[in-house]
Amino acid sequence: MNDKLLLGRSIETGSWVHKLDARAKITGMLLYVAVILLSRSWMAMALLALFSIAVMISTRIPLKYFLKAAKPLRYLMLFIFIVQLLSVKEGSVWLSIGSLSLHDGGLRLGSFAVIRMLFLITFTALLTFTTTPGKLNQGLEGILSPFKKLGLSPDRITLMLSIALRFIPTILDEAQIIMKAQASRGADLNELPLKEKGRMLVSLLVPIITSAFRRAQDLVYSMEARGFRMDAPRSQYHRLRWGAADTVFVIMFVVMGVAVSLV
Amino acid sequence: MAIELQQVSYTYAERSLWKQTALHGIDLSIKQGSIVGIAGATGSGKSTLLQLFNGILKPTQGTVRVLDVTIKAGEKSPKLFPLRRRVGLVFQFPEQQMFEETVEKDLCFGPLNFGMSLDEAKERARKAMNDMGLDLKLLDRNPFRLSGGQMRKAAIASVLAMEPDVVVLDEPTATLDPISRAELIALLVRLCREQGRTIIIVTHRMDELLPYADSWIVLNEGSTAFQGSVKELAADPAILERCGLTVPQSLRYWRAVADRFGLDGENPRLTAESLAELIASLPAGKRDAHE
Repeated sequence: MNDKLLLGRSIETGSWVHKLDARAKITGMLLYVAVILLSRSWMAMALLALFSIAVMISTRIPLKYFLKAAKPLRYLMLFIFIVQLLSVKEGSVWLSIGSLSLHDGGLRLGSFAVIRMLFLITFTALLTFTTTPGKLNQGLEGILSPFKKLGLSPDRITLMLSIALRFIPTILDEAQIIMKAQASRGADLNELPLKEKGRMLVSLLVPIITSAFRRAQDLVYSMEARGFRMDAPRSQYHRLRWGAADTVFVIMFVVMGVAVSLV
Repeated sequence: MAIELQQVSYTYAERSLWKQTALHGIDLSIKQGSIVGIAGATGSGKSTLLQLFNGILKPTQGTVRVLDVTIKAGEKSPKLFPLRRRVGLVFQFPEQQMFEETVEKDLCFGPLNFGMSLDEAKERARKAMNDMGLDLKLLDRNPFRLSGGQMRKAAIASVLAMEPDVVVLDEPTATLDPISRAELIALLVRLCREQGRTIIIVTHRMDELLPYADSWIVLNEGSTAFQGSVKELAADPAILERCGLTVPQSLRYWRAVADRFGLDGENPRLTAESLAELIASLPAGKRDAHE
């Protein structure tokens, strides 16, 4: 029961974005990164914000969930802002205290960095919010399939990724159960002094790692028991289908890229 | 009263899209020194309810009163440390409850936290191992190298080692063999009758607890569907079916005998021996009249 963890959780609302082909969404996200990097003026930033928020609203997922996804990185963003502000010595000085002087350029670049990061995280959260992990994997497999010729095995990579993602919440739940068991026996993290807290957290590592290994072993057996073989040809339950909406979705990002680099 | 709940609700992940109410408006009270069975279909909120008993979960609505500690929804709870010393909770999956390198360390964990000296804690650990019928040679073993049944017993021992006034167990007999199951129930009954401890057991095997439990609580989809003595439950076991459970054999036999011979006022006989004794003691005429 982790209400704080939004990573890798899909939120079903049945919007048009949900119905898109996962490959289109992944391509869109990659293009979005390019769009972010191409935005170099206040005008472009405004356009980027308008576009991003419009797409987010169209998923019918409350905006606060996107914001929550970025919340863990708020201090990093603040840090980047401050570093930019202090280190960039361009443009006119708007504040100087002793040897310290703050320049226009620093303010501008600092704000840009924060805006870029904010949109990068909130918008790419859209991918996991609107796509179930299974479909996401299929999409990734589809995108990576050209690498087969280079001797890489996309199924292997996506299998690894999907198992890793699938078990993050499970392992967190397990940690929580052990913490509950410890609390029940008189070692409540919330009531312990700081030093003890650290010791308790370390003591969590051993049982969690051993149980992760045990779980992995069981998973291998249960997959093999059901006839799974690596690299064997497999049919798929859901087929990926590329439709007109997917093309439109991808083109939207290309247009945005052109637009932000022009303004 | 050892435990009293007033209008208690519990919601997981409140304030999010995934919120899920596990308990709604529960009122219940558990007498000190009694054995209480809790039954209910999977997902009826049993495990959530247990975690309210020692403050691991705090009610999202209502008031939980355990011994002399009151936890009220929305208020800052008092220090729970003293409560946890007196209420021992055995979780459903023992392998998720052991975390030390050796069984002995795990068993000493609780007593040490509650301020006992190392020697005392070790003494307690040995006693708990004996009570649970575990070989003392296992003390140096890594808990993860025990068999499933041994691990469960060790997990129960680790809670008994704290000698709590209230022992709360979540399906303690699930992975035990029949002999160990009977021994465990007998031990818990002894702890209650001889030392006056309160024992609360969640179980899917009502049969093994029915002869001993003083009262039962039946949960259905997060609410209490039944709360009362075994006698009341035996009078109308159909309530269990309405909650998605099956009526245990012993209650079915008792119902059949009671209906046939009109014994409704009697205390239910829930073991084969006591039931046979009762039938044998019926006047011969009464027995034959129904043949």
